[in-house]
Amino acid sequence: MSQPVANCPNCGAKIVFRWSSSVQTVCEYCKSILVRTDVDLKKVGQVADLPPDSSPIQISTEGKYGNKAFVVVGRILYGYDQGGWNEWHVMMNDGTSAWLSDAQSEYALSLSSKAVNLPAAAQVHVGQQFTWNNQSYTVSVITPAHYRGVEGELPFQYWDKTDVTFVDLRTESRNFATLDYSDPEPALYLGEFVEFDELNLKNLRSFEGW
Amino acid sequence: MFRKLYLLYGALVLSSAGFGQYRGWSLDTVNQLKNVPKSVRDNPGSYRSVYSGYHHYTGGK
Amino acid sequence: MSAGTPPLSGPPKPQARALNCPKCGAAITLHSFGQAVTVVCASCHSILDAKDPNLAILQRFEAATRDVKPLIPLGTRGKLRGTDYELIGFQRRSTQVDGITYYWHEYVLFNPYKGIRYLSEYNGHWNDISICKTLPIADGGGANYLGETYKHFQSADADTDFVLGEFPWQVRVGEKAAVTDYVHPPRVLSGEKLDKEVTWSIGEYMYGREIWESFKLPGDPPAPIGVYENQPSPVTLNVTGMWVAFAAFAVFLLVLMAVFDMRAKKEPVLQETYQYNRAESKAETSFVTDVFELTGHTSTVEVKTFAPVSNHWIYLNYALINQDSGQAWDFGREVSYYSGYDSDGSWTEGKQHDSVVIPSVPPGHYYLRIEPEADPSLPNIPYTVEVIHDVPVFGIYGIAFLALLVPVVIISFRAYTFERSRWSESDHPPMELSSSSGDDE
Repeated sequence: MSQPVANCPNCGAKIVFRWSSSVQTVCEYCKSILVRTDVDLKKVGQVADLPPDSSPIQISTEGKYGNKAFVVVGRILYGYDQGGWNEWHVMMNDGTSAWLSDAQSEYALSLSSKAVNLPAAAQVHVGQQFTWNNQSYTVSVITPAHYRGVEGELPFQYWDKTDVTFVDLRTESRNFATLDYSDPEPALYLGEFVEFDELNLKNLRSFEGW
Repeated sequence: MFRKLYLLYGALVLSSAGFGQYRGWSLDTVNQLKNVPKSVRDNPGSYRSVYSGYHHYTGGK
Repeated sequence: MSAGTPPLSGPPKPQARALNCPKCGAAITLHSFGQAVTVVCASCHSILDAKDPNLAILQRFEAATRDVKPLIPLGTRGKLRGTDYELIGFQRRSTQVDGITYYWHEYVLFNPYKGIRYLSEYNGHWNDISICKTLPIADGGGANYLGETYKHFQSADADTDFVLGEFPWQVRVGEKAAVTDYVHPPRVLSGEKLDKEVTWSIGEYMYGREIWESFKLPGDPPAPIGVYENQPSPVTLNVTGMWVAFAAFAVFLLVLMAVFDMRAKKEPVLQETYQYNRAESKAETSFVTDVFELTGHTSTVEVKTFAPVSNHWIYLNYALINQDSGQAWDFGREVSYYSGYDSDGSWTEGKQHDSVVIPSVPPGHYYLRIEPEADPSLPNIPYTVEVIHDVPVFGIYGIAFLALLVPVVIISFRAYTFERSRWSESDHPPMELSSSSGDDE
């Protein structure tokens, strides 16, 4: 897959896009948030240094989900009243994108789902049940969260969002679902919890003493 | 683990029982002797039984 | 695959953070790379906010007793399920049942890649615990988790008495949680309710020696007392299988009996009636029978004696002698029979007949040498001697049956007492068998 190369409009550094469908990326050198237009890159904002966090995953970590390999290309850091978590943006080897979340070393992989008739945020309450893909999901937690930072390549523009609501849905198996209300249109992600070992992660961050 | 041991043990018990039946084992105690001379047929009194002199009184209740 | 230019100023490489307690100044190190929510100062027992760079004080507690020492020192690393974990936190919890306080300990383990696990210890019984990712379905009597059914064992309130180290949640001394345990040995499913939120965890029983090996601890682990709720039973799992095996063996035994019964010739080779005369007893009473032939293979020989004694006895010294080889089997048999009448009614003792089976007699020509004796008060009596060749010996099957039955009964009994011991500690103790009142925890 060809890797388009461009230059950062702010500082001139080389920008490499690992994923062809990236809409937004962050310049590693000057921390400018850059958006891809048809012609070139446009700076739309600046991201502060990411807060220190404990995720062992980093950009360019590689892994496997099922029989597909993936590489980590970006992330969004979220915070909520009891802490925070990471949503790592991964690119699968068939070009599609998925999200690998890391919440206190609990890992889950989810994919965007094209479901219709998703409920509005105000209509959702804990215990409510939905059926997608012949699976029954129960609302377990509704979390008001805020974004704390972004890094790398993302499939959408994400620089001016502050508060978002997430609805977690669980099942009796490893499957779970998330309703994402960061956009006016609700978005549905279906995924499953995975064990660290199942992902065969390589090129992880190293921790002192480990 | 116990089950495997038991299966082995049971097989041993059953084969012992079968073997015993085949070889004619019995539960009674009997003394074996060798070299009883042929002359005993003519003179049965010359044979000394291990049990000779047994006098058993089983008085009733 | 080229990774592009490495970031110039990404987040710093995570390291353990060294800080000072805001209350007493003692040194505090955070080992969990930002995953701890609270951390305890071991010197002044202040619970601090681990996410706050200034370590705001959340609670101070007085240790009611002297410092409780964790069995595994904080900072020790051990291997569980193939992964190294570092011990970062410890707490002692208690519950009250019937006025008695029971204590147990919980340990927080950390690995930067795998996250947090827990260990619990009570009376020498250990459990390897992790938080459930999928939700169990529970109703009062039982619960279902990942396809397994768990039985309700106990519901109790757990108090946090003492804390040390780092915790991934807001721990406070004195906080009370409602804990419900469901068991499916060797696993235990535990639901902990604190402020309306239920957290489910799944634990697997571990033996003290496994923990000691994992963490390379000196000395010996504390000896386990009693049977723990999810302690695996070495025997229970085998019981059904053994009874099935026993049934199969019993059937096989019956088949064996039938086969050998059909095979046995049960051939009568001698049947004679002789007369015993006291008058002749001064002289030599021994005599020999006619010669008879035992054909076929080595097998049993049954000698039956019958005499119509009544309140007398006769005794026959028998010898079965092989005419050609000189081999002999020597045995004595008594026939006695008594009867009478007393205050309890009529009674009898003994029998008028006797049977003995001689083992492993090779084929050949044989005769019996017989030397009769009798009760001095008996003047004369006829007696019949029967010799039957190749009879089955049913006593052997009886012994085999018992030999097969005994181990199964022993195992069943041990499994039964083990399970009784287990459930005697629960909310559903087994009924007392004896009349003495038992304690139910």
